[in-house]
Amino acid sequence: MRFSNFKMAASMGEKLKCRDLHGYLQTLPSSVLDRLYNHPATCLAVFRELPTLAKHYVTRVLFVDQPVLKTSVESWVQKSHLANHKKAIQVLSDLRVWQDQTLPGGLPGWQLNTIFRTNLRITLLGGGKPWSGTGKTAPDKNAKDIESLSKYALDRWELVLHFLVGSKGDDSVSADIAHVLVHSGLMKQNEQGKPVITPSGFQFLLLDTASQVWFFMLQYLETAESRGLNLVDALSFLFRLSFSSFGKDYSCESMNESQLQFLQHLRELGLVFQRKRKSMRYYPTSLAINLASGVTNASTDTHREGFLVIETNHRVYAYTESDLQVEILGLFTQMLYRFPNLSVGMVTRESIQQAVSFGITAEQILHYLRTNTHPEMRSKVPIIPPTISDQIRLWELERDRLSFQPGVVYNQFLSSQDFELLRDYAKDLGVLMLDNAVTRTLVVTTSGHDDVKKFWRRQKKGQQS
Amino acid sequence: MADESEGSLIVVVVDVNPVWWGLQDVKNDKGLTLFECLDHIMTFVNSHLMMNYKNRIAVIASHTNESRFLYPVQESPATAEDTEGARHVADGKYEHFAKVNDAMQDELRQLLFRNPTVVHTDTLLAGSLATGLCYIHRIQKECAAGQQIKSRLLVIKAADDSASQYMNFMNVIFTAQKQSIPIDACILEKDSGLLQQACDITGGMYLKIPQISGLLQYLLWVFLPDPSLRDTLTLPPAIHVDYRAACFCHRTLIDIGYVCSVCLSIFCTYSPICSTCHTAFKLKTAPVLKAKKKKKSALQTS
Repeated sequence: MRFSNFKMAASMGEKLKCRDLHGYLQTLPSSVLDRLYNHPATCLAVFRELPTLAKHYVTRVLFVDQPVLKTSVESWVQKSHLANHKKAIQVLSDLRVWQDQTLPGGLPGWQLNTIFRTNLRITLLGGGKPWSGTGKTAPDKNAKDIESLSKYALDRWELVLHFLVGSKGDDSVSADIAHVLVHSGLMKQNEQGKPVITPSGFQFLLLDTASQVWFFMLQYLETAESRGLNLVDALSFLFRLSFSSFGKDYSCESMNESQLQFLQHLRELGLVFQRKRKSMRYYPTSLAINLASGVTNASTDTHREGFLVIETNHRVYAYTESDLQVEILGLFTQMLYRFPNLSVGMVTRESIQQAVSFGITAEQILHYLRTNTHPEMRSKVPIIPPTISDQIRLWELERDRLSFQPGVVYNQFLSSQDFELLRDYAKDLGVLMLDNAVTRTLVVTTSGHDDVKKFWRRQKKGQQS
Repeated sequence: MADESEGSLIVVVVDVNPVWWGLQDVKNDKGLTLFECLDHIMTFVNSHLMMNYKNRIAVIASHTNESRFLYPVQESPATAEDTEGARHVADGKYEHFAKVNDAMQDELRQLLFRNPTVVHTDTLLAGSLATGLCYIHRIQKECAAGQQIKSRLLVIKAADDSASQYMNFMNVIFTAQKQSIPIDACILEKDSGLLQQACDITGGMYLKIPQISGLLQYLLWVFLPDPSLRDTLTLPPAIHVDYRAACFCHRTLIDIGYVCSVCLSIFCTYSPICSTCHTAFKLKTAPVLKAKKKKKSALQTS
């Protein structure tokens, strides 16, 4: 008899994971975290991402200098909500926002991280040094207004997306950006060594703009150190940018070499506007503002005007001139007509299943449709006609008729007695997945494999002796 | 907590009654001056804005002569330029917070300068609350379709209740209840029957703070958490609410009184003509003549 190991890995593309700020910070070593808290902007960003209850705890002890008893913190919430309380405490300790501290009486207590406390207070009440780059700049004779800044930002960002789908030339983005795209798994090298889009890349395209930028920046920061960029510098600059005022210019005089390099990358992505490379001022654009709020669950794309009208007859009308948007729409619809400012697509079973085979899920398609609906459609509840959303989900489910579980096959038993013995043993253990008496084959789960194997060895020894 | 990302709006109504704050200044033991109190409120406002970038704030000062927005300010382009210039040499405070705080301080100063004399001593609280409700209504209308902003009112009350505003006050309360906007009240000195009722009806928090110098801590503890979060927290127990009404004739609180059967106005003394709806009440002067209808007319009391 012999057994063979089957591992059926899901061949479908893995779902694109998009971490929020909290998830990202947890991956950082604690020394980096401590250095990060040296800047008020980071403290503010971290604070905003805490769970609501944790935020409440922080504000409550912000002006208390002594450590607080753990038991008294617990008494702040009602008994029935202790689970929430535990979660909040866990998050606060994970992020090193507060630390264990023993009170004089030997009782356990919490104390806010001193650096965090000082900087959060500065954010709130003032004092301390001004944030760098906020110094007064001379009036700019080429000042930009808010609309042109937003347009600039979106144009730049669209260029990156164009590169991703390969609709523009290969040299439309710099090597660094292309490297980040490959590293993040959104693109991969093909046989000719040219980057092409992957299933994750398609999923990326369906995110709303804010989440796209956030995801990209995370990937960028992961590769930052290899490029000689100081992670702490880059992060704190990014957070500062995220809390700056839109339409105002900032000076980059006090920035060091690595930050200036970082600025050039941000400029290429459209997160900041700088008129010339050597110009000593920059404008944060709408993409950068509130970036730190991470992945939004927003029901609308805040950066773009919605343009989709979805009808109950499965037709999708896209009022857009952007080739990119039409291409994205083409991922899961069958294009019918194309006019200068309007394209019409049809959601069909084939088109949805093709999209699903790319690794795109129905939820992602629906999210894309929902975030990009035309303002006229927004007043409807639900925004997408239920027939359409249900149908898309059903079409996705059609592909999900098989579920995969790893197992171990036992076959080529010499006698049916042996087979029955082993089968009954596996059944008693509850690890039997499948058995067939005619072919004398049985399948057990991987966890039960060891036990069954041992049993069989013992059994054989008993027979021989 | 799923709708946490939606953001919320707090309209803070601050009682800046110059008479009360003046008296407080004279007493001046452990008390706060108006501007110290404003510091506390500004920190509270910043904390609220800090919670979520979608959070919004409005601050209304309730004076004896007028109610006035301290923030947001209807600014002319010229003043916007000025404040920005002044703010540039700043400290480590977050720009947006600094802007809000500067605006609040400036406006309050202007408000006090513009009203050197006081005509009467009652705070125009009902008016300020109504302004706040209108503001909330406007913001909610401006929201994009399908989105909603949770709103609530917070009253920081210093001076005594004024019975003369009873009617207006009640109208405000019922409007707030209808719009499901909770009214929270933070009382600095004397318990206020009207606000107790307001908080009870609209489902807000009522708290008379024991120590005025600890205002900020109470604000952060009790009034900063969102109503949805309050269920999970241990907060001061609710107080017994005084539901006595004020009569329409002398504005005094009464336990038993006369109610007009037509318009439901309340009076502490009997009057033959209702002063609100001008209904004349027939008296049972001649019960002997129409003995049959005696019972019906007897009901017509005032």
